[in-house]
Order: sequence, then C-alpha cells, then structure tokens
Amino acid sequence: MNTLIFLRDAFAGRKLATAGFLWLCLIVVAAIIAPLVAPFDPLEIDPVGRLTEPGWPNLFGTDHFGRDTFSRAIYGARMTVIIGVGSVLVALFCGGLIGMISAYFTRLGHFLMRAVDVLMAFPALLMALVLITLLERSVVNTVLVIGIVYATTTARILFGMTLKLKGETFIDAAVCSGAGNSSILFRHILPNLLSPLLVQASFIFAFAQLQAAALDFLGLGLPPEVPSWGNMLSEERIYITRAPWLLIYPGMLIVVSVFSMNLVGDALRDSIDPRFKDDIAGV
Amino acid sequence: MALLEVENLEIAVSTQRNLLPVVQGVSFAVDENETLGIVGESGCGKSLTSLAIMGLLGTSPVRITGGSIHFDGMNLLALSEGERRAIMGNRMAMIFQEPMTSLNPVYRIGDQIVENLRQHQNLSHAAARDRSVELLNLVRIPDPSERIDSFPHQMSGGQRQRVMIAMALSCDPKLLIADEPTTALDVTVQKEVLDLMADLQSRMGTAIVLISHDLGVIAETCDKVAVMYRGKIAEAASTADLFAELLHPYTRGLLNSIPVVDRDVEWLEAIPGRVPTLEETLTGCAFQPRCELATELCACEAPQTTQFKPGHSVQCHFAGQDRS
Repeated sequence: MNTLIFLRDAFAGRKLATAGFLWLCLIVVAAIIAPLVAPFDPLEIDPVGRLTEPGWPNLFGTDHFGRDTFSRAIYGARMTVIIGVGSVLVALFCGGLIGMISAYFTRLGHFLMRAVDVLMAFPALLMALVLITLLERSVVNTVLVIGIVYATTTARILFGMTLKLKGETFIDAAVCSGAGNSSILFRHILPNLLSPLLVQASFIFAFAQLQAAALDFLGLGLPPEVPSWGNMLSEERIYITRAPWLLIYPGMLIVVSVFSMNLVGDALRDSIDPRFKDDIAGV
Repeated sequence: MALLEVENLEIAVSTQRNLLPVVQGVSFAVDENETLGIVGESGCGKSLTSLAIMGLLGTSPVRITGGSIHFDGMNLLALSEGERRAIMGNRMAMIFQEPMTSLNPVYRIGDQIVENLRQHQNLSHAAARDRSVELLNLVRIPDPSERIDSFPHQMSGGQRQRVMIAMALSCDPKLLIADEPTTALDVTVQKEVLDLMADLQSRMGTAIVLISHDLGVIAETCDKVAVMYRGKIAEAASTADLFAELLHPYTRGLLNSIPVVDRDVEWLEAIPGRVPTLEETLTGCAFQPRCELATELCACEAPQTTQFKPGHSVQCHFAGQDRS
C-alpha cells in the first residue's frame, strides 16, 4: 500500500518518466507473452529469405540466416527482463547483505568493506570480463557476473544507510525491548531501506542491460543461439552496410529501454530525496 | 536489597591513547514504588548511567570499567545476551528523550506494541492486539482502537511519547528508566506525561528512574534526587531533604538558574563557566573552577562523599556553607 502511494507520487506530473515506465511495462508484457505475439519462430532458419528488407510479413526484416528480426526482438525482450531482474536480485541480495552486516557488526565490516573497495577499484566491464572468462557462457552465469559487479555499489550504499539507521533512537528502543540482532537487522532496519533499495534496483536494471549488451557484443555474454538484443548486434554487425535495419532496431530498443529505466530511476530517486526535486522538476 | 542497586559504577570512553573516565563511583538504589531523579547539566553522565543500566553501551567506545548493577538480585553486568534480552522490555523498560524518532517509522504503532508483547509473553496476535488497545487507552490516547493502526508520523510528539510509555509498560515492568521523557515536548504536554507516569506508578508500583536537567520536574515527581556533576554524584538526598537544605554549591547554582515568573530579576543568575571537558585533567574538585566557595583546598584535594545528615550525602569540602 505504502509502495503504491510512493510510486504514484514519484510519477505524478512527470510525463517523460511515466512514458518510460509504460515502455518498461510494455517490454515486460512482451516478454511474458512472446510466443503469442511473435509472428515467427525466432530460431527458424529460412535460406531463401535472407537479409530481406523490413516490410510485410517480416516487420523488421530478416537476418543472414533468414530469421525474423521482429520475432527475435520480442524474444530478446525476454532476455532483457531475465537479465535485468536476475542481476538486480543477485546484486541486491549479495550487496545488501554485505552492506547491512558490515554496518551492523563493525569489526567484521572492516574486512568486508575493504574487500568491496578492492572490487570497486576495477572498472565494471573489466571485472565482468574477468569473471565471465572463468565461467562458461550461459544465461545464469551472465546474470551472476553482472549481479556481482553491481553488488559492490549496492553494498556501499546500504552500508552507509544502515550505519545511519543504526544510530537512530528507535533502534536503541528496539534493543531495549529485548530484540535480538537478526530481528533488529531484518525487522527494524531492512523495512526502512526499501525505498533506497527500489531506486538502486531501477538503476542496476538499466546498467545491467548495457553491461549485458556489451558482453554479448564481445561474444562473452549469452550463448550465441539465444535471441537477445546484444547478440543480434554482435552477429549482424558485418552486414551493417547491406542491411542496416538489422542493427538499427535492436540498437534502438537497447537505447530506448535503458533511457526509460534511467528516467524511472531518476523519478524514484527524486521522490525519496527532496533535495533533487526542484532542480529537474517535471522531467 | 533494593530493586535496583548501582554501586561504584565507572564508565570510560576509550580513545586512541587512553581511557577517559566519564562516570566515576556512582552509587544509588531505587525501591519499588519509588522515583529517583537524576539531575545535572548536559555532559554530566546522566544518560550514560541510564544506558549502562539498560545495557546499551555494548559496541560503542564507551564502556563500563568498574562497579556493579544489580536488578532484582541479578547482576546485570554478568548476564548472558539471552538472559539480558529476556529482561529488557519485559521487567525493565526505557523511555527515550526523542519521541519523534523512537518509534520505527515504517510500522504501525499497534504492530510495534504487539511485537514487544509477543516477544516476552506467550500471547496470540489477537490477544496482544486487545492488550495494546487497552494500553493505549491507559496512556489516554483518544480512540485507541482506531489509532492503533496509525503510523508514527500521523501522531503528535506528545502522543508518540505516550505510545512509547504504553510500549514500555506493556509487560508491567518493575523498573522504568525515563531519559528526559519530557524535554522534547511542550510544557502543557510535559505535565500530562509526568502525571501519567505518576498515575501509572501508583497503580502498578513501578520503580522509576527519571533523568532530567529540570529541577522543577524533579521536585514535583521524585521521592529521591541525585545531583550529578561531571560523572560524580555531587549531592543525594530525599527530595524533601534536598530542597530543605541545599548543601552543594552546584545544586544551589542549578536552582538559581531557573527563571521565576513572579520575581522581578534584572539578571538571571547562571553558573559561570561550563562543565570541564573530558580531556581536562582535574586534580581537585571538578566544580572548583566554577565555584564561588572554592579555596586552595578545593584545587588540590577532591572531596570525598560525606553523610551530612542521615540520608543526605554530599561531595564538597564546604557543604552547606554560604559565600560569607
């Protein structure tokens, strides 16, 4: 209930952010009902109809195997959602746990947070590349790698917020009422962190897309047979002069989606941090 | 043996170089149905003493370095974590200074009271909720069955403090520690909260330790008073004895610095100077730099606690003497 009110306030009077939110909803719906709306099988090869131009019945044209780009784009939405949700869950769970525990048990926290600092010193993409070369290409591994990369920033943010909450009187009051450590951490502190977690989630969702697309493009992300927007870019890049639509459509989808996620993230962040409200109101 | 007995309590802050004592040799006892007031300026160690009793000093750099705290015959400092948690909020409860922040903002007040109840008593959710409504009624929250579903931000400061009191009283504690419970409230609400506490004490026989910097509040509500100055008890007596004969110049100073409405004074008398910081090492009496009675003796030798009269102890070389 509280979350619904929070969402309503965050998007009230912000047309662009609302449009971004609707676009994301559309992607999620497309991902769920992909088999119903995709006109063709995204893996079906048609040697005769290779590299056809956008038109009817291939709305976005076909690729060099004769597969329907429109259907592949719709199935690609599925990967977008899976990668996004998966990395967000991994990042929030690992990062959140490390951050909260570090702030609560200060002595252990010194070690954990220094480890996090070391990981943060590597550029995100570099770290993802190192991790992925150790593992084989699969959807689960891509999700894990991206999740771990963003767990570090999440840990930092939650570390600070937990540290602040720990000093609040109501936590002392909880200790006074005989609450144990786990009860204080998960019943008293965690619910207070839900809004910042929501904001963090929306940003990780956006960054994970870019990261996944970059990994796919380098041939290190999802297995090549999986239809994802990044893979489509990667596979068809040699046809950029003959069939530019093969790159324009998935490229546009990535750009618009990431932009939408950032708009949504901004709207959420502004609504929990009143200092930002006046600067970019109405965006 | 009294219900709560604090003996020679020593608390120190550990810095990088050394241990700085903040509370030194504090002793007092509180019995059932009795209210002890602890008064003093900011930084005198009143709050630290109360936090030490509640075991809230745990992980901070401030820690107990000596003395003992006995509650109902148990040594609180020797209890295991589990045993301590069984007492906290159950037989011993605390009310904090800031009612605005002592309730968790994300839970309905009812849920917070219910949680405390169910933690210590074997109650069903429905029974705990009924009891919560009863408690809110007891602390005079209007419409308790409606307000139980309010969030803390929907209530005023006075109401929140009453909810805190309801929560503290939920398990019929034998001892209630109130750390400046009325400081953040405005005067009319202050009176109501104090009356409420006195009323509940007479009904349940709770012992109360009331920490305040307001001698007026103390005079009105307490049976016994301990005046603290820089970590030591400067003067302790029953309220009647104390106000009949102010022995320590610091107590007199505190009383003189209260503005009185019906007396026309040009200058409000304040105690000159400030409480010495922890880093300042003092050889003699800690109050000596600010004291009008100070002599060389005060600068060299710290006064010992002396029984001026039975039940009226004081730490001053010139107890009871005037400027003359």
